[in-house]
Amino acid sequence: MRTPEPVSEAAPAGEVAPLLRLVLPSQTEFLGLVRDVTKRLGESAGFDGETAKQIALATDEAVSNVLEHAYGGRTDLELEVAFFCEGPDFRVDVMDTGVGVDPRHIPKVDLARYATERRTGGLGLHLMAKIMDSVTFSRKAPCNLCSLSKRRPQGPSPAA
Amino acid sequence: MSELVVESRQCDEVTLIYPRGFINAHTVRLFEGEIQKALADQRFKIVVNCAELAYIASAGLGAIMGSIEEIRENGGDLRLSELNETVRNIFEILGFNHLYRIFPSELEAVMSFRGEGAHA
Repeated sequence: MRTPEPVSEAAPAGEVAPLLRLVLPSQTEFLGLVRDVTKRLGESAGFDGETAKQIALATDEAVSNVLEHAYGGRTDLELEVAFFCEGPDFRVDVMDTGVGVDPRHIPKVDLARYATERRTGGLGLHLMAKIMDSVTFSRKAPCNLCSLSKRRPQGPSPAA
Repeated sequence: MSELVVESRQCDEVTLIYPRGFINAHTVRLFEGEIQKALADQRFKIVVNCAELAYIASAGLGAIMGSIEEIRENGGDLRLSELNETVRNIFEILGFNHLYRIFPSELEAVMSFRGEGAHA
């Protein structure tokens, strides 16, 4: 494995520091670890077990997208998953240094066509969007960032 | 511990597939392979018993989507049974519950194939 460039640096002053930051090899065998950590932190952030599992699924999908599309199956690179509790929101950032994915080019899910055309692309993004309140993609060279956010069930009120 | 174990057995004309654990991009080949094995044996009546399936990501759903046309073209079907809350929620989020027949028990899923003709 090559020595990686740091995918991200420490949070600048004024920005929320992550609860946890994982730097992982670009290998699918680490998806289980991502899932378990996400579920645990989701529950700690106040989500019930079932919702925490769904957030873990959305995170699994985001990481899988990086492995398949941004890194094209290469296993010698790294990616980063960072978890934040930012005000009322729980946020998971997935960062990579691969090929940027423009979500506008991902086909819309049409289940009827999927069943007859053997198409399966776009399901992961569709799941992420259904589970999370917000899914955004951005690029600041050389990094791609997929940010998944969901309002916590008992977040502080704006006045708090 | 392995993330996924997949076993299968025959019950008359029906192939029963038992995924145990987690289906995602890392493990999907095992699950897909078991479906493909049934198709290679010309067995197109399939029940996936999800009683011990903890979790299924889009890779696993894609494996089902990728084989369903061939299965139905051959007069068969892929049906599911015993989905836990997590897996059922995922199916409902994607609308898969409208595309696939889902049964509370394996027996009901197997029995649903009875009287459907030579292939299904």
